[in-house]
Amino acid sequence: MEQIVSQFLLKCLHIILNSRIPSLHPIRRSTVEPGSVSRVRKSDRWFNLLLGDRPSVLDNLNFWHRNLTDPMIVDVILVHEVSNSSSVDNLYGNSTASRGGGSVETVIERWTVHYESPQISPQANDSLSHKKAYKKLIVLLRALYSQMRLLPAYRIFRQLHSATQSYNFDIIYKVSSFSDPFTLTRVEQEMMDEYMFSTPVEVVPPGHVSVSVSFRKTLSDFNLDPSTSLIPRIISDYVGSPATDPLRSFPSSDKGLQEMPFPSRGTRLPSPSPFQRPHSWTSGIHRGAAFGYGFPPTYGLPSPPDHFVHRAQSYRPSVQRTTSFDDYQLSPPFSPASSPSPPGHFLGSNPLQHGRPRPGSAPVMIPRQVATGTTRYATPNSSDSNRHSLPPPSPRSTRLDNSSQESPSGIRMYKKQDISRTGESHLGTTSPYTGHKIMRDNRDDSGRFSGLLSSSDSPRVGFSRSSSRLSFQDDLDDGDFSCPFDVDDVDASDSPASHNLEGKRASEFAPASPMGTKSRDAAVGVLVHMLRTAPPLRQDLSCYTSQSGTTEQDGGIATASGFFMPRKTTDGLEELRSYREMKDLLLSKSATRVFTTEEA
Amino acid sequence: MNCEICQLKELEVEHYEIEEVLRCILHTIIFHRALGLVRPKEIDLELFEITYVQCGDTEVEKKIDEKIEQFICWVEKHPNKKSQICLSFYEVKNKQASWFTNKIERLYWEQWYINLNVVQQPKMHSSKSSNSKVTVESGEDSHEDRSVRRTTLEGSLRDVLFQIIKFVNDKKDHVPPIPNREGVISFPYEITIPRLDMLYL
Repeated sequence: MEQIVSQFLLKCLHIILNSRIPSLHPIRRSTVEPGSVSRVRKSDRWFNLLLGDRPSVLDNLNFWHRNLTDPMIVDVILVHEVSNSSSVDNLYGNSTASRGGGSVETVIERWTVHYESPQISPQANDSLSHKKAYKKLIVLLRALYSQMRLLPAYRIFRQLHSATQSYNFDIIYKVSSFSDPFTLTRVEQEMMDEYMFSTPVEVVPPGHVSVSVSFRKTLSDFNLDPSTSLIPRIISDYVGSPATDPLRSFPSSDKGLQEMPFPSRGTRLPSPSPFQRPHSWTSGIHRGAAFGYGFPPTYGLPSPPDHFVHRAQSYRPSVQRTTSFDDYQLSPPFSPASSPSPPGHFLGSNPLQHGRPRPGSAPVMIPRQVATGTTRYATPNSSDSNRHSLPPPSPRSTRLDNSSQESPSGIRMYKKQDISRTGESHLGTTSPYTGHKIMRDNRDDSGRFSGLLSSSDSPRVGFSRSSSRLSFQDDLDDGDFSCPFDVDDVDASDSPASHNLEGKRASEFAPASPMGTKSRDAAVGVLVHMLRTAPPLRQDLSCYTSQSGTTEQDGGIATASGFFMPRKTTDGLEELRSYREMKDLLLSKSATRVFTTEEA
Repeated sequence: MNCEICQLKELEVEHYEIEEVLRCILHTIIFHRALGLVRPKEIDLELFEITYVQCGDTEVEKKIDEKIEQFICWVEKHPNKKSQICLSFYEVKNKQASWFTNKIERLYWEQWYINLNVVQQPKMHSSKSSNSKVTVESGEDSHEDRSVRRTTLEGSLRDVLFQIIKFVNDKKDHVPPIPNREGVISFPYEITIPRLDMLYL
């Protein structure tokens, strides 16, 4: 019976999060047939309701929710920007009550699931009554699932989830085991409608399970329109450009919050809401800096990866932030691998946000592109985040799968997918053999990231550290593009130190570029990658054959022939020469463009 | 075992809305009663801002679509009438074979009555040729009326869905134990169109 109840709680939470939190919602509709029940995880079969992969936050629940008879209260909180919020200081405000300026959080729904079992003495282990209870809980969950889609908050979730536009609001959640009276002001309570899921379900009498929800009847009070203020901006002092110093350190102003101790799961973060108590955790706005990949400052807002877009809006006005954002970008929250050693790290690194602990959901690596309006990123992001939110082994395995799948279209993929993709590509999804190396790096480096958030070093580079084939390498050596693709550097300089320094630049440079120059940089990134992965001389042929057998890999750039040929030294050198020429050509083009944009 | 009956709130629908409304309601009810292993499928209605959940079983979809077609045909033959569709869940009891028939008895344990009032907007097209000004005005009015009606219908449909959820939650004891069978649908069901006395608007 206990197991049934605990699984029921998990399932409830899963349903709620799936239906309300865009970042955790797996994109699976397109890929999974509705009727197919094959390859279903055993844990998902509970209550005969297949929901797909569980977000990793659910794993936290068992840890945190020790006592089954405590009510589980899930607050769905709408975070939205108030118009006069250009002041940076306000962003550091941290209460859940409304404040003038900054982001405002409002509880739009409060779900309460409560298992009451008055008797402590063990219940009769009657399988029939268990079956009945189980059946009733199945029905209850179905009703809950439907109900989630009928309440007003679902519309907002869909707006956010569709992500064709950027919005100035966001939805986060908070799970607690008590009802915090302070989070709901009286006014708010009055505005909420109460709905009790009928009679509590009797489970092994005299215990019973009840689910109820208080929700705001109308959400039209909030200005939940898509933001239209996004205009792609060319940042002239963009970090990745050769003109600026890519090794900028974190500004000291932000250090204060950065140095916040990283809360571990389930413990309270010292600074924020005074109402925050132990045994509650939230998905906080500060989903940590996970976005990093050389995201251009415009987008480099330390907003949650999934909520990147919205955050970008709000922080836009404050120019002073851009620098800090850069640095945040550099920070590694290389989420996926580090998700298990979680969220604590990310939280601390996000001074802009309220600094509330955010457990569980691993940030997406790739921030969404903002004003391009492309929805492409949304999908990979969500799917990535979904992948990343899986327990550690999974992301790697999935990524490995991805990389092997993606390699066939390797270069083409690069060129199509722009920045966010290139960002990701550096993670190793580009080519299989780098892929697995990177994943290995992730594993190695996951521990590092926690410490790296508060430093200005680019932990991100860690990935490229041990793999000498990574595309970062060519950029490592110089930031001035003189000869980034120098062959000699390919195999040399494996030292972490140099990689740390330069990889930062490289990573910024290659994947990151402002909107206007993205195609150029993407192309350069592609080129760089190809050069990196160009199989030269000491290349492990066995490695190649096993992975690139089908496809273009590096040879694809010029020929796109798509078949594998045994490489010889001379071939390699020739290819390299051709690459260099191309590189020079591109660089010359880019140089002219940089000038023109700077002049403009 | 008693049979629980649920009379859903009456909905006033136009001809072209019948299909969506019925599909939404029928699927919702079945989703709550298909207690087998289900991968829920969310469907957004086109005419309304409502999302409902299907159980994802293609057989069920087919059956529902067939019945809806039947119903629409019936409605076309009997326009402007209140009508009902009945969704019943039953248990199969094998009766002792009697001399005459080997009858299989159905024991209904739940019945849902969906009440629809199909209205037809007075057609404006016929009067177009006569006086264009008049038609424009009346066209605008009907436009407004239509949107008002649509909004009302959306609210009512939402109420009906809440009603279903409430009923499903309130009464669980009458639901028979889930049989051990593969598949999404745990209980046999049937959709019927009971004949009603003709009611004219």
